[in-house]
Amino acid sequence: MDPSNQVLPTKENSLFKRILKCYEQKQYKNGLKFAKQVLQNYPNHGETQAMKGLTLNCLGRKEEAYQLVRQGLRNNLKSHVCWHVFGLLQRSDKKYDEAIKCYRNALKWDKDNLQILRDLSLLQIQMRDLEGYRETRYKLFELRPTHRASWIGYAMSFHLLKDYSSALKILEEFRKTMQKNTYDYEYSELLLYQNMVMREAGLLEEALEHINTYKESICDKVTSLEIRGELLLALNRPTEAEKFYRVLIDRNHENKDYYLKLEKALELSTVEQKLALYKDYSLKFPRAHVPRRLPLNYATGEVLEALLEPYLQKCLLKGVPPLFTDLQSLYDQPGKAELLETLMYRYLHNLETCGRLDPSDESSDKEPACILFVLMYLAEHHSHLNNTETALKLLQRALDHTPTLIELYIIKGDILKRAGDLLGAVDAVTEAQTLDTADRYVNSKTASFMLSANLIQAAQDMCSKFTREGVSAMENLNEMQCMWFQNDCAHAYYRLGQYGMALKMCHQVDRHFTEIIEDQFDFHTYCMRKMTLRSYVQLLRLEDVLRSNEFYWEAAILAITIYLRLHDKPITDVTFENDINTVDMSPAELKKYRARQRKNRKAEERKQEEKRKEEKKAEQKKKQSGQDDLENPPQEELIPHKLERPADPINEALNFLRPLQALLPQRLHTHLLAFSIHLRRNKPLLMLQSLKRAWSVDRDHPELHTSFVQFLKYCKDSLPRKYQAPVVTPAESATPVPLPSNEQGSNKPNPTNHHHPSNKHIKNSKDNKNNNKDKNQRKNHHHNHQNNIASNNTENCKTDTNASTEIIAPTKPSINLEEEEANFDAQEAVVVAIIHEVMTSLVGTVDPVKLNEDFLNKNNESLPHRLQAARSMMFLDSVQKQRAIGIATEIGDHIKGRNLENLQTVLEWLEGLECEASPEEILRFKSQSQKLFPRAQIFMSELPQSHTTTVTTTTADGAAALATTTAVSGVITSVAPSITDDEITANCQQYDEVIVNHVNHVDG
Amino acid sequence: MKRGRIELGDVTPHNIKQLKLLNQVVFPVSYNDKFYKDVLEAGELAKLAYYNDVVVGGVCCRIDVSEGQRRLYIMTLGCLAPYRRLGIGTLMLQHVLNYVEKDANIHCIFLHVQVSNDGALDFYRNFGFEVVETKEHYYKRIEPADAHVLQKTISKS
Ligand SMILES: CC(C)(COP(=O)(O)OP(=O)(O)OC[C@H]1O[C@@H](n2cnc3c(N)ncnc32)[C@H](O)[C@@H]1OP(=O)(O)O)[C@@H](O)C(=O)NCCC(=O)NCCS
Repeated sequence: MDPSNQVLPTKENSLFKRILKCYEQKQYKNGLKFAKQVLQNYPNHGETQAMKGLTLNCLGRKEEAYQLVRQGLRNNLKSHVCWHVFGLLQRSDKKYDEAIKCYRNALKWDKDNLQILRDLSLLQIQMRDLEGYRETRYKLFELRPTHRASWIGYAMSFHLLKDYSSALKILEEFRKTMQKNTYDYEYSELLLYQNMVMREAGLLEEALEHINTYKESICDKVTSLEIRGELLLALNRPTEAEKFYRVLIDRNHENKDYYLKLEKALELSTVEQKLALYKDYSLKFPRAHVPRRLPLNYATGEVLEALLEPYLQKCLLKGVPPLFTDLQSLYDQPGKAELLETLMYRYLHNLETCGRLDPSDESSDKEPACILFVLMYLAEHHSHLNNTETALKLLQRALDHTPTLIELYIIKGDILKRAGDLLGAVDAVTEAQTLDTADRYVNSKTASFMLSANLIQAAQDMCSKFTREGVSAMENLNEMQCMWFQNDCAHAYYRLGQYGMALKMCHQVDRHFTEIIEDQFDFHTYCMRKMTLRSYVQLLRLEDVLRSNEFYWEAAILAITIYLRLHDKPITDVTFENDINTVDMSPAELKKYRARQRKNRKAEERKQEEKRKEEKKAEQKKKQSGQDDLENPPQEELIPHKLERPADPINEALNFLRPLQALLPQRLHTHLLAFSIHLRRNKPLLMLQSLKRAWSVDRDHPELHTSFVQFLKYCKDSLPRKYQAPVVTPAESATPVPLPSNEQGSNKPNPTNHHHPSNKHIKNSKDNKNNNKDKNQRKNHHHNHQNNIASNNTENCKTDTNASTEIIAPTKPSINLEEEEANFDAQEAVVVAIIHEVMTSLVGTVDPVKLNEDFLNKNNESLPHRLQAARSMMFLDSVQKQRAIGIATEIGDHIKGRNLENLQTVLEWLEGLECEASPEEILRFKSQSQKLFPRAQIFMSELPQSHTTTVTTTTADGAAALATTTAVSGVITSVAPSITDDEITANCQQYDEVIVNHVNHVDG
Repeated sequence: MKRGRIELGDVTPHNIKQLKLLNQVVFPVSYNDKFYKDVLEAGELAKLAYYNDVVVGGVCCRIDVSEGQRRLYIMTLGCLAPYRRLGIGTLMLQHVLNYVEKDANIHCIFLHVQVSNDGALDFYRNFGFEVVETKEHYYKRIEPADAHVLQKTISKS
């Protein structure tokens, strides 16, 4: 056969059709059989080769698959089947961009192929190629005008492009063609979607008319009412809106939003008016909670007291454990905390003396648990006000009353944690956990507290009570995308200095987000088919901003922090030896120590190796187990050892930063971290940009000040940068020519700051002056002397790393260096001028020393400000270390902001890389802080006796559960805790001792 | 005002610690692990009492065949002090009585009560228990050391 002839005779052609069918029906083995038959006679038939490849891919034989599909394609470049198959293969590997190209090629050869068009449209919406999506949807609409999906998809493509009028036109045409049944959910959804587009288009009048016209056909009555209420409010027709919100409240008395909207509709402005409204509703719905809770936000003084009394009494009598949580928001308003305290103590007194909340009300029953909830509330109240000891005393009274109320142990944990007693907190919640081991909430809470106390193994063991058997808890929690756990774990590892493990957790969280975005794929077809159009559009919009989620924020912030640290102080394999004082050791000791270190390291490596093997095995198993997992191509393994030795930590940090810049620009730390990254990248204009953004978010934040100081110092020391001659790498330049003498001088180390231990990164490039936008355009002088405009940060970063190697060997001086240099210097001058201007307008000076002294003088009594002034001082001149430490650690009574968090931040600074204070200085600060927070473990020079047992046992592998069990049973065999309740005391005395006879009898 | 909700629940490995804690507070006796192991096997003979979803009482019994007779022995039946006189003891004892009612082979319920424990004596008398014997020096180290044996015979038709 002519190898170029790709047309099969009838017999083989029917075999080929059967291959297709087998593929659709997932009969891969049979498919291969038929493919073999065709290829026996026509070994070069491209489409058969491609289909065979696709089938093999489904069986997990990816490499063969790619080879065959490529070969098939080469044999028949004009076949839409071959291109389509190649696209499908790429899609299965999540290479969506590549897949789109393949589909487009396929369409060149078969432009009306519905299947390919549909597949293409899915990829386009997934990649948010909205223009492309609209074109494809148009094509599908043309080809299949009778299909419902054609109309919807086409309309939606316009909607997403904000071309509302076209979208509405199509939707209205389509609506007319729809058959209406009596209860037609799909028609109803279409109407609501149509209405949504109208509202988004700002066509409020039309939307109102539309919904009034079709209200009978809309099944979701609540949404219909809500839309009308909102439209009427927006159209400034409050009296009509009122009607709808009243109806909605009648349907659901507990929706806070309805009441607030009703307030708006009634145009209530004074507190009295609002209180009257809620009074009406309280009378109307005697059991409703919201109309009683909301007025507490507005009322003050005696009015508030009159409202609070019945509210509190009802909750206390009913026994509502989260009463404090319910009322906590009132504590921000002046006087309300005091009032609550007064009332609660009054109740406590009443209950103690006569057993009733209200002694005058003789008719009421004595509710035994009432005093319990009063005590519980007061304990939380005092903890909130940082009166730890009072809180604990009250809580103990509650425990003596009802030791079986599990919430009490959790509150005890919260109180202790707030006071910094992390291990005590773990003990308390562990007790709660053992009392009800079926409670997953308490289980998770315990694990989370354990992680706060850095007890990682114990936390995993705790979680393993609820994770799938047969895999480690860690693995299972990752599969389940349990992000709170992974983030908490990451922080624990970070605190323990295990950066590799911490980064692994951060990357896993990041991958969950990628996965969620990929999972979106299935919904493109599903939602269209089910006509859940509003939810679908909401889903698309959610996915667009997915990484604004708090879990991502947490993981990204930590990852960036760690990568910056790894940049400043990379892990070398001798680091940890330096950390330990080997100087004082005798040679024998040292030898022993080294041997032990080696052994440890070997053991660690072995462990890692084994783990890796196991993971591999598990993966292979997965591969064999079937097709489902094939849709998730194996990802690069996250190996802690490698992660903490990144080739380019700054680029890694940038990867985590970008989503934050895009999605969370309203957060200060997005920009402060951006600044820190750009500082290390030697990018003054990007630094300036980050600082400006930070300034517009929160200009008074103390941390921003330090960044300003760092920046001004950088400018002073490093700008204007000197011109660097373009160079080539040694590999490229066979005969390196030395630099002209005038260039050599500029190669001196950059004196920026101690973040740049190896600052040979003098740039042979400059920042363009008009890069106030996100893009940092920058001219790069390559050896071929072409000006390469790198238009985004990634490329920029790459060129940066190249730059350092390029400096090593200069290029042939075939260019006019003098002209280049003049150009460079001119631009650099512009940069300096811009910075000068902007900084003067932001902070009023370009002198970092003056800026810092002014800042300190202005905020002389605020602890967080003093810390930042001290940090700045160290950055400016490390000789000032003693003064800086003195400023940061002054915590006399006149200093404000001496809370646990701020003190802890100071301590971390003292111990960290930036300061590296002496052990004596650290100890001094700890003991001073300890006076303020006597229970906080971080300020203890040694752990308290009572806790050490727990710590050692819980940290010992796997012993956690055991240790806590013994702890609790230990309590049981020992004497009961001090009991104040009279009746119990009496009882205890009565049965003072264990009665041997009785026990014997009981045991039979 | 409405009374709190009172109900009985099973003892399971998940909540057995609550029973231990309760017994520890209500009785001075520290029961050993075997006691609780048996309780887990006891089925309807061991119950927790809940007041508004919080454990406040517990009852543990076993079948005694010592004197050639199948009898039900109440090992512990107790309620946290603040929650007494609300009918929780009654609910637990009623549960035990119902159990015996259904078992044709049990004709007798008995237990030990310290002679000075008037509250408990009153409580059991309400349900037709009678003092059938007083064991002197049944208890060691506490006063009074004597215990009444309370018994109720169930007549079955
Ligand atoms: C004995 C005990 C279980 C009773 O529980 P309780 O929930 O208070 O009992 P009830 O509320 O169901 O009481 C039912 C009736 O028993 C009688 N009674 C119960 N306790 C009484 C007391 N201290 N004094 C007088 N009568 C009492 C009353 O007639 C009561 O009815 P009333 O409240 O309407 O007057 C409880 O007091 C207790 O746990 N005591 C400590 C443990 C103990 O001694 N157990 C017995 C040995 S196993």
